[in-house]
Amino acid sequence: MDLVFTERQRAFRAEVRDWLAAHVPPEPLPSMDTETGFERHREWERTLAGARLSAVSWPREHGGRDADLIDWLIFEEEYWSHGAPGRVSQNGVFLLGPTLMAHGTEEQKRRLLPRMARADDIWAQAWSEPEAGSDLAALRATATPDGDGWRLTGQKTWSSRAAHADWCFGLFRSDPGARRHRGLTYFLVPLTADGVTVRPIAQLDGEHGFADIFFDDVYAPAGQVLGEPGAGWRVAMATAGSERGITLRSPGRFMATSDRLLALARESDDQTLRDAAVRAWADADAYRLYAFHAAARAAGGAEPGPEASLTKVFWSELDLRMHEVALELLGPRVTAQWLDGFLFALAGPIYAGTNEIQRNIIAERVLGLPR
Amino acid sequence: MRFAVTEDQRLLAGAVGEALAATCPPAAVREAGRDPAARRAAAWQALAEVGLLGALVPEEHGGLGLTIADTVLAYVETGRHAVPGPLVESAVAAPSLVGPDWLVKLAAGVATVSVAMPHLLDADLADLLVVRSGAAIVLAEPGEITLIPNVSIDATRRLFSAGPYRPGPPGRKTHGTEAAGGALASDTGIAGGFHEGFDRPVEHAFDQAFDRAALATAAQLIGLGRWLLDASVAHARRRRQFGAAVGSFQAVKHRLADVAIALEFAAPVVYRAAYALTHRTPTARRDVAAAKIAAGEAAGGAARGALQVHGAAGYTGELDLHLWLTRVWALRAAWGDESLHRARLRDALLGDSPVERLP
Ligand SMILES: Cc1cc2nc3c(=O)[nH]c(=O)nc-3n(C[C@H](O)[C@H](O)[C@H](O)COP(=O)(O)OP(=O)(O)OC[C@H]3O[C@@H](n4cnc5c(N)ncnc54)[C@H](O)[C@@H]3O)c2cc1C
Repeated sequence: MDLVFTERQRAFRAEVRDWLAAHVPPEPLPSMDTETGFERHREWERTLAGARLSAVSWPREHGGRDADLIDWLIFEEEYWSHGAPGRVSQNGVFLLGPTLMAHGTEEQKRRLLPRMARADDIWAQAWSEPEAGSDLAALRATATPDGDGWRLTGQKTWSSRAAHADWCFGLFRSDPGARRHRGLTYFLVPLTADGVTVRPIAQLDGEHGFADIFFDDVYAPAGQVLGEPGAGWRVAMATAGSERGITLRSPGRFMATSDRLLALARESDDQTLRDAAVRAWADADAYRLYAFHAAARAAGGAEPGPEASLTKVFWSELDLRMHEVALELLGPRVTAQWLDGFLFALAGPIYAGTNEIQRNIIAERVLGLPR
Repeated sequence: MRFAVTEDQRLLAGAVGEALAATCPPAAVREAGRDPAARRAAAWQALAEVGLLGALVPEEHGGLGLTIADTVLAYVETGRHAVPGPLVESAVAAPSLVGPDWLVKLAAGVATVSVAMPHLLDADLADLLVVRSGAAIVLAEPGEITLIPNVSIDATRRLFSAGPYRPGPPGRKTHGTEAAGGALASDTGIAGGFHEGFDRPVEHAFDQAFDRAALATAAQLIGLGRWLLDASVAHARRRRQFGAAVGSFQAVKHRLADVAIALEFAAPVVYRAAYALTHRTPTARRDVAAAKIAAGEAAGGAARGALQVHGAAGYTGELDLHLWLTRVWALRAAWGDESLHRARLRDALLGDSPVERLP
């Protein structure tokens, strides 16, 4: 057991810290759910990419730094503690990117990854459908063979940032005879393709943070299939593992929130809220330790499995609790930052598979309770 | 930076787990509640043989000279098996509090120690009673302190308060201070911050003993919680109602999923605290507090969940379950209840000094 960062890790942290101190915009960027805000966030991603900091855990050849999990955790801690902008490219960099590296062809990797790292392409996840939320395998959108390619038809919904994004990745039923998890294919589709219509949907905060995506006989050449046709479910589950585990929501984010929460609690003499803040800080710290522990296990060759579901429940409920405590501590003095954070935290137990679904997975696949 | 369990930690824990599987079946835990002498039965001998009783005793006194971090996983195992007797007191707290002659006995596994914290655990079978009195540590032998029985939720753990203190003839005494007799509970003005053969200030010695014992107790709580979760899952798969295993019902599933989450996130907090104590980091005390709280709450949730999932069968004394339940409730209050540790955490986090992180 060794809890001392190496010389190299400290140097990396210092580099990231110095760079952020010099580059993080002094004023928060406008919301990424608006057209101008989206483009400002894209510019920020390019600034990050210029310093090879947009996808640190990716291999060098694709624009990353080959950072291991610990370096990535360090990067995230610095990133969020400096109040840097939200990651408009997160679906590409953290979800699709690793899946592409595992399942994509060399040609796909060369074509798509560098553009993703530079935010030339910003990706939206198109999984949910009006009748297929938790029950993703009930999806109805279809892919019909057409020459060497496919024709896509159907509706995806609640696709984050799709209102302004460039591409989407989603699952389509390519074998009408197959049921449930079988006969699905994973497609990569430009949102500018003929037959694609994006209809932004207003969220709780009034902004268009997600969108419907309608596919009306959209042509997708074979090179836009990720993995084998018909094997889409397996490819998609690789993405889901990233989404629920530590990669989508790293401890750094919650450490930063818990630090700000402690600062509020210091100013308060409400003992209940002070204790709640202390507890939240300790929980964010526990998530951090869990992540370092998981990093050591991963370095020892352990594959992430259904345990990712434990993480998702923990961070999403912690995030919500922290914002609830902050709102109580602030009362009428509440700031836009805490309010936006609260509204966003409310979605945490819903997206990336609801927490009820995660608890089912934990019970059945981690604990072994009967289905 | 490698926050992983080491091979040595795993080996010791494995040896302890095997020794206890052989010598400390639930029947032995149950017997310890019935027969006072059974608190120090075969399991103690087995733990002496694998070296756990003398693990923290320096090598020059016959121990293994290990650190608390080396033993943290082994203490998880002692919790999993609900081993009875004043183990944490004798093997974790006492080495910080006694002089060389007792260290030798501890290492040999021939002495059990009870430490007033504030209650004296299993003082009726201890060979040595350690009581703090003001700036002094009093080492008393059986009979020198009148023991007043206290209530205990766990029948395997007998608790006493220290009554009047009547030291034996000076020649016979090995340790202790030149104290006059009298009540020990209050500050009696017993002289001296040191006792013979003891080279550290009493304040430090007690702080160290307390923090280490709190950490070992937290580790035991993790082990108890894991046993309870396993037992709950096994019962929920076996017990059928409405034509189905009760574990197929979602209310049961989600409850146990929450138990699993709490235990999973508490364990690294406990390991980190063991590291902090071993390396004497400035955060050590705070880290132990966080560990005791996280482990106590996780184990407490496991106990409540286990009882609910077992239904009335769990409420009986016929299943072994109750032995683990009562141990959890007892240990949550031992070596600093969560209220005390929360206060420490509050002081560390809401005070004026900047909050450091480990790592
Ligand atoms: C802010 C936000 C962003 C999102 N971004 C995206 C995105 O980018 N791409 C995308 O594809 N999707 C996205 N989603 C959609 C998200 O994945 C779904 O909302 C989620 O999978 C749940 O589906 P649903 O909303 O249809 O709820 P439903 O599946 O209809 O569930 C309704 C309720 O029933 C519960 N429930 C359902 N089934 C079970 C069960 N078996 N056991 C117990 N309880 C159950 C659920 O937990 C929930 O509480 C986003 C959602 C939000 C809120």
